[in-house]
Amino acid sequence: MDSQLHEIRFHGRGGQGAVSAAALLSLAAFDDGFEAQAFPKFGSERRGAPVEAYVRISTTPIRRHNQVYQPDAVIVQDSTLLRSEPVTAGLAEHGLVILNADRCPDELDDGTLRWICLPADQISETFLGRPLPNTVLLGALAAATNWISLAALEQAIGNHLARKGEKIVSTNIKALREGYRLTHELENTS
Amino acid sequence: MEGSHAVAEAVSLCRPQVVAAYPITPQTHIIEHLAEMVADGGLASEFISAESEFAAASIVLGAVAAGSRAFTASASQGLLLMTEVLFNIAGLRLPVVMVCANRAVGAPINIFSDHQDSMALRDAGWIQLYAGSNQEAADTIIQAYRIAETCELPVMVCMDGFFLTHTFEPVDLPGQDTVDAFLPAFHFARTLDPTRPITLGGGSEPDNYMEYRQHQHQALVSAATEIENVNLEFAQTFGRDHGGLIDAYRLEGAEVVMVTLGSVMGAVKDVVDSLRGQGQLVGALRLRCFRPFPASALVTSLCDTGCNAKRIVVLEKALSVGADGIVVTELRAALHNAGMAVIVEGFVGGLGGRDLTIEVIESVFRTASDGVSTRCRFAGLKPESGDQSTMGES
Repeated sequence: MDSQLHEIRFHGRGGQGAVSAAALLSLAAFDDGFEAQAFPKFGSERRGAPVEAYVRISTTPIRRHNQVYQPDAVIVQDSTLLRSEPVTAGLAEHGLVILNADRCPDELDDGTLRWICLPADQISETFLGRPLPNTVLLGALAAATNWISLAALEQAIGNHLARKGEKIVSTNIKALREGYRLTHELENTS
Repeated sequence: MEGSHAVAEAVSLCRPQVVAAYPITPQTHIIEHLAEMVADGGLASEFISAESEFAAASIVLGAVAAGSRAFTASASQGLLLMTEVLFNIAGLRLPVVMVCANRAVGAPINIFSDHQDSMALRDAGWIQLYAGSNQEAADTIIQAYRIAETCELPVMVCMDGFFLTHTFEPVDLPGQDTVDAFLPAFHFARTLDPTRPITLGGGSEPDNYMEYRQHQHQALVSAATEIENVNLEFAQTFGRDHGGLIDAYRLEGAEVVMVTLGSVMGAVKDVVDSLRGQGQLVGALRLRCFRPFPASALVTSLCDTGCNAKRIVVLEKALSVGADGIVVTELRAALHNAGMAVIVEGFVGGLGGRDLTIEVIESVFRTASDGVSTRCRFAGLKPESGDQSTMGES
């Protein structure tokens, strides 16, 4: 059975929506025709405390319910987590790190990993009026990998956030597209 | 969707007339979603926020005795607080369905998953079904009402806290019409009715108590057939077969068979595939039903392809402290009674939410038999806690 499996780990702080971002990504992957699974690092969640969430995207049914130990990509919603959390743990060489930051930390970028750093707080603030970096970072993931389509993420935002109103949906889609566009731009200039 | 929501949707499809519960992690999302559905008008049910788990269990006892279909859910200390009532529900032969979102029992207090809570209730007289995935958990709810109401026995659907309850994965929920056709409205023959007064739960004396208990035992044993039948009919109607009493995986020619319960089976199947790929004759078997204990189905399944198993390893998330693993003890007795002299080794692991990783499962498969199968061993202990060569034997 030839199976393609991608595992993604989210690092955020309680309240930033790491779990919601993971759920949104899994719903989009499912809409895209993949098998998908999302779950939080199990535990009590407190606002501001480090939080992890995981996503598996696969071409075959996902049977295991273990935590993710060797992710193919990590998404870091808050750059201050670099100081306290082992955010790159388990990544293979050239593993992908998507970081919400103005610039990549030189001291960490030793060439063994693939860093994509974008100011998702500012971008989301522009579109949403608040620093909610999730959809920007998901746009970056779609641009940096071919694991998920932009269209599926847009559809998942439409379905998942519909209860919060049309404006929330359309502004999040704009933020998603900006994350996607900027990542392509960064990748082409680097 | 999230496992808890899938289960709540499945409960709603069964049209319970009374839902009573008290919140406890990791069960709370199930009851919250049911409360939401009642408040939004999508579910016509009496939702009662109880003042304790003891009250919640008492409310569903009364509701079913009065002829209503009812639901509750709990876990861990909450389930244990229900204990007295759960024995009464079973003794009164009331078809209550509940979910146990499996969680460790304190002390030390721990909100994470293992099977100690429901295993502690194994002698309560409830049917216990353990789900391997969220799809199965949702489907098992629908089956549980059919089984409960046909057998007049309560059913506890056990699903691993967090590993299932908090995981988003695809779940195919059937349509209301199909569920209505599969699960007819509840008509309780012994319902309490003021126009036709009867006594329910009267006292019993030494001259008849034993016969009550013997009948109850017989009813639970006989329920195995109904569990199999309902699973078959469910598979025909909904196209999904979760295995009735047991879920056997690649037992053909298997010389080493792992026996386990719950959501860890997914990872065990992945390990079986990988070891088979390396030419090792391994297989796995999941007890979907723990009560009634499916002794004969286990023996049949292990011998379906010729009783090749030289070694059986049980990996379970609970133990009878001071004795041994629980499943391993019952499995040894069943195989002994069937005249099978296979080595059965017990491993206790995954307690208090510790992940049973692919590596731990592989090491349990690979740990050489020591010929002494009577010791309780722990799988996945931290290195400083014991000798890893014996998997932290103690």
